[in-house]
Amino acid sequence: MKYILKVFSATFMSLILSFSIANASSGVFKVSHDLGFGKDTNLDAITKGRLFQVVIKTQNRLVRPDMNGVPSPSLSTDWSANSDATEWTFNLRKGIYFHDGSAFDAPDVKYSLMRAKDPDIGSPVRKSLNVVEDIEVVDQHTVKMKLSTSFADFPLLLTDYRLRMIPEGSGDTIGQTGVGTGPFMVDKFDPEGTTILKANPDYWEGAPGVAEVHVIAIPDAQARIQALLTGQIDMNRYVPFNQKKIFDSNSKFTTTVIPTGNWRGVVMRTDTAPFDNPKVRKAFRLAVDRQELVDLVMGGAATVSCDTPVMPSDQYRLQMDCPQNISKAKNLLREAGFPNGIELTVYPATLEPTWPTIAEVVQQQVAKAGIKVNIEMVPSKGYWNEVWMKKPVSMTRWNQRPADTILHEAYHSGAKWNESYFKNADFDKNLADARSELDFNKRKKAYQNAQMTLWEQSGTMIPYHVSRLVVTSSKVKNLDAVDHFSIQWHKVKVD
Amino acid sequence: MQSNLVTDDKQKNKLEKAFEILKTMASKPSGLIGLTIVLFHVVLALISPYIAPYDYKAISPNTMLLAPSAEHWFGTDSLGRDVFTRTILGGRTALTVTFFGSLIALLWGGLLGIFCGLVGGKIDDVVMRVVDAFLSIPWILAMLLIVSLLGTSTEVLIPALGFFYGKGIVRVARAATHDVIAKDFIVSARARGHSNMSIIWNEIIPNVRDAILVEGAMRWSWMLLGFSSLSFLGFGVSPPTPDWGLMISNARGLMSFAYWSVIAPIVGLSSLIIGINLTADAFAKALGIDRSTKAPV
Repeated sequence: MKYILKVFSATFMSLILSFSIANASSGVFKVSHDLGFGKDTNLDAITKGRLFQVVIKTQNRLVRPDMNGVPSPSLSTDWSANSDATEWTFNLRKGIYFHDGSAFDAPDVKYSLMRAKDPDIGSPVRKSLNVVEDIEVVDQHTVKMKLSTSFADFPLLLTDYRLRMIPEGSGDTIGQTGVGTGPFMVDKFDPEGTTILKANPDYWEGAPGVAEVHVIAIPDAQARIQALLTGQIDMNRYVPFNQKKIFDSNSKFTTTVIPTGNWRGVVMRTDTAPFDNPKVRKAFRLAVDRQELVDLVMGGAATVSCDTPVMPSDQYRLQMDCPQNISKAKNLLREAGFPNGIELTVYPATLEPTWPTIAEVVQQQVAKAGIKVNIEMVPSKGYWNEVWMKKPVSMTRWNQRPADTILHEAYHSGAKWNESYFKNADFDKNLADARSELDFNKRKKAYQNAQMTLWEQSGTMIPYHVSRLVVTSSKVKNLDAVDHFSIQWHKVKVD
Repeated sequence: MQSNLVTDDKQKNKLEKAFEILKTMASKPSGLIGLTIVLFHVVLALISPYIAPYDYKAISPNTMLLAPSAEHWFGTDSLGRDVFTRTILGGRTALTVTFFGSLIALLWGGLLGIFCGLVGGKIDDVVMRVVDAFLSIPWILAMLLIVSLLGTSTEVLIPALGFFYGKGIVRVARAATHDVIAKDFIVSARARGHSNMSIIWNEIIPNVRDAILVEGAMRWSWMLLGFSSLSFLGFGVSPPTPDWGLMISNARGLMSFAYWSVIAPIVGLSSLIIGINLTADAFAKALGIDRSTKAPV
């Protein structure tokens, strides 16, 4: 009997041990970032230089998009609005702790969101959050947000990837510590080298599948592909489609194509001649053959856009056609006082691998309308500080955001990241009307009017919304086939 | 009449000497191969605009990454452009920029080196320390700084390359001058009261010219590699101008499945560099210059 008990005990202990080992975090997941913000790179999600590859793994939002982009619970379990959608009440998840050991509660929510509105910080997300007038701490696990106007889609706004919850009073240090409630904790922050994240064993959705995440700075796009091929990193979410064949036939890698709301574009500063003339801007945009760009640059894996930043799957997107129209472009240039065309210089960098190709294709396309484009390559490092929003014409790329957020953030006259310096009273009014409109159809109409204004007046040529080719090492498991900001990172495993 | 006859004789002698040198260079297989390659590239660069079968700028999604065929001998690139057309035109840009860059390097580097070697003293010390200081700066970093500030036009690239590749020539020219100035004919010229400029022009240059020319030829091949490196990094000529470095850069990610788009510019670039090196070696041997014992640079 004793012998049977011993065998039973040994078997039982072995099972418990193996179960524990199976559930413990193990392995290292290695990813890269492009060091696009150079020395300004930091871990404060609301600042311009935020290293989002880290903060999305260390900090949570109140509300996150589910796999279909619909707002779903994260640190807030549920929410409700008053009858005119000017007050929103959010119930918070209980028993959540930050990496520094402090408890997450309502004052942290108030602090995190009001800080994003602070004009001294000047966050790019501030413009979107202007609608929030005040946040009332109802109790330790309930907050009430009071808005300046009705806003039926308010929870959608809170899914913004930068609206992360941080401990109350941590603003001075968050840029270096990255403390949050997320599945990973910052162990070493080295923006120009390797940043090391360790698994948070107490993560509220369960311990992460990997023990560490390494975020490695590799500014050059081709170097990142080589890093993936040689095993230096396990995932590359920016592989150009013309290089898909390299990975398709290789069993060491898994390729996934994900339609996204991310877009690339060419930005003309509307406050700088000759682009201060709307006819010149529209002429340039009309001279572009968007479908050819999709085919040549993306191998067909993108959705044509008519200069709207609103993603193809968004309910407020304006659907329209915008074929290349050289004769109309020439007419507009003539009317604008440029019968012999114009000359401009664009400054691509390889931090976005498709920029040089976009520039080269656009150069050929618009030449037919008498627009001469010179291409000057610039270094990737520091591109966002030294070229973007500085040169008269620059290249841009944006990650997907809800319609209201992207329209405010990239085009509202008071927005910090209004990269084309676009100022249009009708456009601003349409956005304001849309937010306060409770009737869905009228709200949709207002957002679409705003997009129509962009088509007529905008300084940003947006040829398409990309489908993302994500290549991972075949060792990587459980990676959600969705956009970067919807992935549940704690589920990822590396064999 | 007498004077014209003397000039004609001199020119005839020069031509005969040049022909003799060429004959000597071609008498060795390496020299013959080098000369043939360089001549081939020069001729191709001159006639390429007339024989190119396609428009080098013509992009098309219908002809992307086509393998070599009767229609596209070297295949097409990722934007559907004919690789053969772009390869033969790519050599034209590289040869033009580096040829004129080398001339500038020879001119300023050679003259400054000769001048320093002749006058010596503090001027020589100061100039050589400045040259040493410049030699310690990695040329590619300095070039990147220049093109970042001034752009990537050939008007910027040619003098900038000429400046950076002339630094080494200063030292070679100075060392060659030191070998010459101790000789009797220089002492005699000084005793006769000839000016420094007269001595440089009439006495020194004819005696150091060959060594400097050989060094210049070697610098040309290095400059070619340097220029292509700049283009590879995206800081050489601007698109859509065809250029080997830029073509290699654009196609390097496609090597495993569209090798044709990268092989042609690689062969073009490497064959020209090898050709210039072989020619420069043969040139040095034909002039009796032992490059293994030349002054350190």
